[in-house]
Amino acid sequence: MDPTVRKLLVRILRKIPTGKLEETLKKWTHLSRNQQQSLDYSQPKWSLHENIVSLCQENGLTMRHVSELEMIYCMETPKLTTWRACHLTGAEDDASSVELICFKEQFKAHLSELIRNVSIKIKKHDDESVWMRIAWGDTFSKPNHLKPTYVVHYLQTPYVFICNLSSKNKPLLFQALVFATRHAAIKDANLSGRSFHAIRDLLMGHYNKTFPTNHSRPLKERNHLPTHPNIVKEHMEQAEKRHQVACETFGEGDVPKLETATYMLETRFRGGGGCAEDRQLKTVVTFESKSLLESLRYSATSGMADSTISPLLSSITQKGRNHFVITDKRDKGPDKAAQSLMS
Amino acid sequence: MDARRSDADSAVTPTRHRLSRRSSCRTFNTTKRPFLTSGVLTAPRISTVRRRPNVQQIGNDIDPDQLSLLVKDKWDLSHVTPLYNFRYTELKAYAKSLSAFLLEEKQQGADLIPGGDKVFAVTFSAVPGVAKTKDDAETVFIQVNSKAMFAAPGDAPKVMWRGWLTSVCADPQYLQSLPPEFVCLPVLCSSGSESLTFLVKCWFERTFDCGFGALSLGPTDLQWLAALWTSCHADGRKIKSLKLKWTLPCQPPLDVSMALDGEDTWWLWDRTRRQQHSQDASYVYVEDVKDFMASIETHFYKHFKMHLSAGRLMSVATEVASAHIDGKVKICPEYLPSTMELLTECAMHRMPI
Repeated sequence: MDPTVRKLLVRILRKIPTGKLEETLKKWTHLSRNQQQSLDYSQPKWSLHENIVSLCQENGLTMRHVSELEMIYCMETPKLTTWRACHLTGAEDDASSVELICFKEQFKAHLSELIRNVSIKIKKHDDESVWMRIAWGDTFSKPNHLKPTYVVHYLQTPYVFICNLSSKNKPLLFQALVFATRHAAIKDANLSGRSFHAIRDLLMGHYNKTFPTNHSRPLKERNHLPTHPNIVKEHMEQAEKRHQVACETFGEGDVPKLETATYMLETRFRGGGGCAEDRQLKTVVTFESKSLLESLRYSATSGMADSTISPLLSSITQKGRNHFVITDKRDKGPDKAAQSLMS
Repeated sequence: MDARRSDADSAVTPTRHRLSRRSSCRTFNTTKRPFLTSGVLTAPRISTVRRRPNVQQIGNDIDPDQLSLLVKDKWDLSHVTPLYNFRYTELKAYAKSLSAFLLEEKQQGADLIPGGDKVFAVTFSAVPGVAKTKDDAETVFIQVNSKAMFAAPGDAPKVMWRGWLTSVCADPQYLQSLPPEFVCLPVLCSSGSESLTFLVKCWFERTFDCGFGALSLGPTDLQWLAALWTSCHADGRKIKSLKLKWTLPCQPPLDVSMALDGEDTWWLWDRTRRQQHSQDASYVYVEDVKDFMASIETHFYKHFKMHLSAGRLMSVATEVASAHIDGKVKICPEYLPSTMELLTECAMHRMPI
């Protein structure tokens, strides 16, 4: 077996937790039933891996098969490095009718034209998304399978999610994507995170949204512990209202597990103590949490944040981004300053 | 009780008088909480004014090699009760004793350094120039190296642990109330593995009958440090950015970090200071510190409508210095005296006696 193939195989096997190994190998289908049954999963990990490697060697598997194994595992648990979201713009007339086979052919053809020595693998996931694994090489070297780029695209939507892309290969990939999806351009959506599912759900709105309603909900609809009839919560109404606004802004129940939000501010100083000088302060504010939207929702319901939620925070869910650059427009008159959100 | 109260009261009047004349570098706000030290009652003092760090002066007092050792690492802080019978003439003997103690512990099975044939080489050295007043004890720097038992002369020893005991501008009333056999070095800065730190502390406890405790910094102390570090910006020690980090008690906890540009931070500090104490550039007042932090929090509030006061200030950092609420600091040479003065005061407050 080629040493690079072996190296990649060993690395992938180390990444996959033993619990998932059996079903991943089953999905892979490149080891026969007998071979799979001959593996003993209670062995220490290193000897189990040795057995698998030797079985693969027996079957004469190549880089193509091994990269397929990596892809299968990645599609199940996409917890690699940081994922970035991108937005396709300027859809042409037939953009909404691009279907899988056409997209595959176009993408592969175009990218291979742009760069020689690139290895592309495309698979369709159960949830109608297209996963692409790209190993980059250049004119003189073979594709490097140890550092592949993963791209996920939902057909007929303008969303693309990318991870592990170097700046050298970025323009090539973008050009191929734009061509294959029949759009005019692609731009960064200012949304990134470690959890693929989180940024996908946020951008595509796949979470429980509460819509504003004029009808106040009767208290009985919330799961409410029965309390003594003589006890009345004074601020029940305000708490309800705060909860409603928080859920409208940040979602209800399980929300996408975003980790960070960054704001690069260059705004007029608003710290009070009125003075004539008007200075633009440069600040970078970062919010971090295990699940950012849940924390923000909690802060709104508990009163740490005001009940009228700041537009800077609500933009996270409304615009589906977590990186913002905000500047104050220069004052035209002495007492007018408009704040604008710029991408 | 009455006699003592009048004593405390009479101590207040001269300090207030000193404040208006500004003839000394410290002003005290005595609290009514006296505690006992060897029969003489003293009250802990909380500073409301501190001298601004003098950036130019620092290089002259301390030997540069020793200074570089003090500012190299990130230190974990502990407070130390006064040491009994600690003599500066016996530093070599202490070094031998500590290395023998560590070797004994290693032979008894403590997992200190990998490799069977390594021994400990300990050095104790005095660092003159850190202490500021005549009552302060000299700083002691301790380094624990490991070297192979049969090392070739060219082999460089590996540094396992570093620490220094120091006292900068400690409360003179407290120092004078101590019996003469005691040496007060209330702050221990240590850097190295936890097990070694624990053993070094054990040895100190055994040899000098002292006690150690973790020195955690309060939010006010962090605010003081932020203001002191910012105030040097104009005269030599520019800061590129001031990073403040809060933790809000949401579920799950939310960390908010704010990085302000250096020039903007200086502008804000200067403006805050001028509002109340425009003529007095060499002192830093607690009201200015509070106003400075309040204006930063208000600026944040106006953008995000979130009250940072609901959370705790966890750490303060510039690109060369940082302080964390758990008692971890990294200092740069220019900030050394003022930072250590603040830490000494914190340690004195938290000491049990």
